[in-house]
Amino acid sequence: MSQRMALWAAEAEMDEDLHEVDLSLAMGSYGQNGLYEDAQPRIDEATMASFQHQMAQQAAFAQIPDVVKRFIVHFHQAVLENNLEQITVAYESGWNRLTEKYYAKTEWPEAEIIAPLVNDDQIFLILYRELYYRHVYSRLSPNIDDRFHSYENSCELFNYLLNSDGPVQLELPDQWLWDIIDEFIYQFQSFCVWRSKVKNKSEEELLMLADGGQVWSCYSVLNVLYSLIQKSKINEHIIAAKEGKSEEEINEIVGEYGSRHLYKMLGYFSIICLLRVHVLLGDFTLALKVMENVELNQKAPLTRVTACHVSTYYYVGFCYLALRRYPDAIRTFVSILNFILSMKQYHTRSYQYDQINKTADRMYALFAICNALSPSRLDDSILNIVKERYGEQFAKMSRGATEESIPAFEELFLYACPKFIAANPPPFEDPDALSAYLDAATTIEPAQRHLNLFISDVRAQASVPTLRSFLKLYTSLDAKKLANFLDADEEDMVQQMMVMKLASRSISRVGQEGSLLDGETISTSDLDFVIDDNMVHIVESTVGRRYAGWFIRNTEHAQRVFNVIRKSPLPVAKPPAPTAHVTPPQNAPPAKSGPKVSWAKVSA
Amino acid sequence: MSSTSSWITPATRPDLIENLVSGVDRYNPSNVSILEDYLYHQIRSQEYDCLANLAILKLYQFNPALYNPDVVINILIKALTALPLPDFNLCIALLGERPATANQDEPDPLPSLLPSLTLLHASLQQCRFPAFWTLFKSEELENLRDNYTIEVVGFEDSVRSVVVRAVRAAFTKIGRDRLGTYLDLSGDALNAYVSKLEWSIDQSTGIISVPPNPDNQVEATVVRENIQLPQLSKIIAQTALTV
Repeated sequence: MSQRMALWAAEAEMDEDLHEVDLSLAMGSYGQNGLYEDAQPRIDEATMASFQHQMAQQAAFAQIPDVVKRFIVHFHQAVLENNLEQITVAYESGWNRLTEKYYAKTEWPEAEIIAPLVNDDQIFLILYRELYYRHVYSRLSPNIDDRFHSYENSCELFNYLLNSDGPVQLELPDQWLWDIIDEFIYQFQSFCVWRSKVKNKSEEELLMLADGGQVWSCYSVLNVLYSLIQKSKINEHIIAAKEGKSEEEINEIVGEYGSRHLYKMLGYFSIICLLRVHVLLGDFTLALKVMENVELNQKAPLTRVTACHVSTYYYVGFCYLALRRYPDAIRTFVSILNFILSMKQYHTRSYQYDQINKTADRMYALFAICNALSPSRLDDSILNIVKERYGEQFAKMSRGATEESIPAFEELFLYACPKFIAANPPPFEDPDALSAYLDAATTIEPAQRHLNLFISDVRAQASVPTLRSFLKLYTSLDAKKLANFLDADEEDMVQQMMVMKLASRSISRVGQEGSLLDGETISTSDLDFVIDDNMVHIVESTVGRRYAGWFIRNTEHAQRVFNVIRKSPLPVAKPPAPTAHVTPPQNAPPAKSGPKVSWAKVSA
Repeated sequence: MSSTSSWITPATRPDLIENLVSGVDRYNPSNVSILEDYLYHQIRSQEYDCLANLAILKLYQFNPALYNPDVVINILIKALTALPLPDFNLCIALLGERPATANQDEPDPLPSLLPSLTLLHASLQQCRFPAFWTLFKSEELENLRDNYTIEVVGFEDSVRSVVVRAVRAAFTKIGRDRLGTYLDLSGDALNAYVSKLEWSIDQSTGIISVPPNPDNQVEATVVRENIQLPQLSKIIAQTALTV
């Protein structure tokens, strides 16, 4: 009789999974692009002067620093020309630098004020507002008008993209496309959390919320995501690509929208955000189901934008946790956390660095939770970091559900879980119901509800760690004797043994293709037992030490270092003249893929 | 063929339902009655389709006006016996905040039944099977039995299937009396049930043998590292280049 495939025996393919990262791809969006000032086109003084003149009467306009005005004009020009490189420079570097310098604590100028700078270009103004509101949400605190207007602006943007005469000719960098969709969902979630706090709302706010209608409703948000998915035919695209169809065939299938990069990526990112929305609403199966065509590997398009890559794995991993598929959750977190570690040297200066680090930290906490519930030796280096950061909680949690450990589970879960939202607003339109809503002690925060469910799962396997530590000492043992050791009733103990058995089995995707929901029952524990009437027979499996991965990685690393050294010019003592510009790039750490790294752009 | 495939797509699921579950029509409130009818069909014919039932709860989540407590209770009863799968909690996760304006004409039976259902679920999840039966047959749960589980064809047998799944994995031999308390069966009914499972009883000792299966066959193994050629391809290619 064959045994269950064991988790710890199936690591070979995972190694591959974890280390096949194409750094050059992922680094693209982190390239330390040329400083904005360097790329400044020469806007001739006359044009500038005429703008100045036209708007002289506007005090607000006059207050805008010249460098900001030049930036906006240049940014607009880049968007008009679909010049992706210049757009990227302005978007990733210029905007953030100017924000630091002039708008760290205030809003950017309103779109209406800068409109003359961009010939009243409505499309650019929509994009500008997208950035404007994102800045308000991230740096300041949005008021109700900001929340309503950012929704309207997003709708205008999506309306333009989806309901123009045919596909629009606009092109934007992947990073920005991701940020647009991601921010849309963030603002939705932020709105839902904000509106659920009824107590501190003013009369005026309550009135506006009562009249709010579809603003930030679940249906309107899902509608945007599904429309982008359908318009771009992204699912058809992925399926066709998997079937090995040629580019022409694929373009035929996906049509005029889907064959444009902008729509394709928006559709793709919409799937990822759909995953996120469903998790926020507590629908973990649907969340994984919408991802059924998306492949999670290091070559998938989602890795092109690191923020998207990290976010995807976080939400997928959390779904597995909610589905009690702890080995899959662990595997998902290990994969992305290793990636983040390997990226560390490249993205420290990215404007998303903080966000990525925060998510990573939450994933270490989730990893600790999963590992306490389903101990595995999947990745010692990640486990060591977890012990450094959450050592105290991890030790408590590993002891099973005692009165000490439950608070540790609660603390880490609440810290690391997604920002769950309620699907429906409080009854703003009905004053009586609203006051009843306020009085009702039963209104539980969504996060608290999910926490309670999770804790019930934890409690269900409460005694497993204790039993486990006892069983480890024996190869066979009378059930009565074991019950005596444990100071427990024999029948109780036998029931706990069945719980332990079930806890050592899990559904997992290990060693399997197929969608994220697919899986096979595997054994997750190195300790197994069986009860023969009144005798308990215990066996333990041992895993030999693994050397190969370590040696392979280090050999490859040594080869890369060797190659770099070989390619470097000899340090010949030459007169200090023209060779100076050849060497500088070489002092940077070698990238996995060789010479194609982004600092090349500095000299370009 | 994965072991979850019948959970993701049960063979008994009609095409109409498949289209709803997998498409955007699942969000259309006017389809709720189709899914509700399908739930009642599951209840009558001992079928089970978790994802379709979750689709009902999703529609309730987005459209509180559709909320029908009887449907929710039936969904939870069906999910109860899906253990060790997490279905019950997945359903609860979607229930979320109840509309504060309860329907005045008819009191909502869910709030009073939910704690009992949760307790039943906990005792099954913790393999406390005798406790489950005691609770299930208690006076407090009369309402649940008389108005709900009685309509669910084969409910008690599906609880027994949960028991059987746990026992199969943990035992090679189990005493007849013990199994009887788990299954809430005795005498001829127990004998009949055991023989239907094709488990054998030693009548003299009263010990039942559980046939071998992947979970009750344990053996110690040593896992050794197994290096595949592709893992070494980069190193070999590199070596070939530098020679």
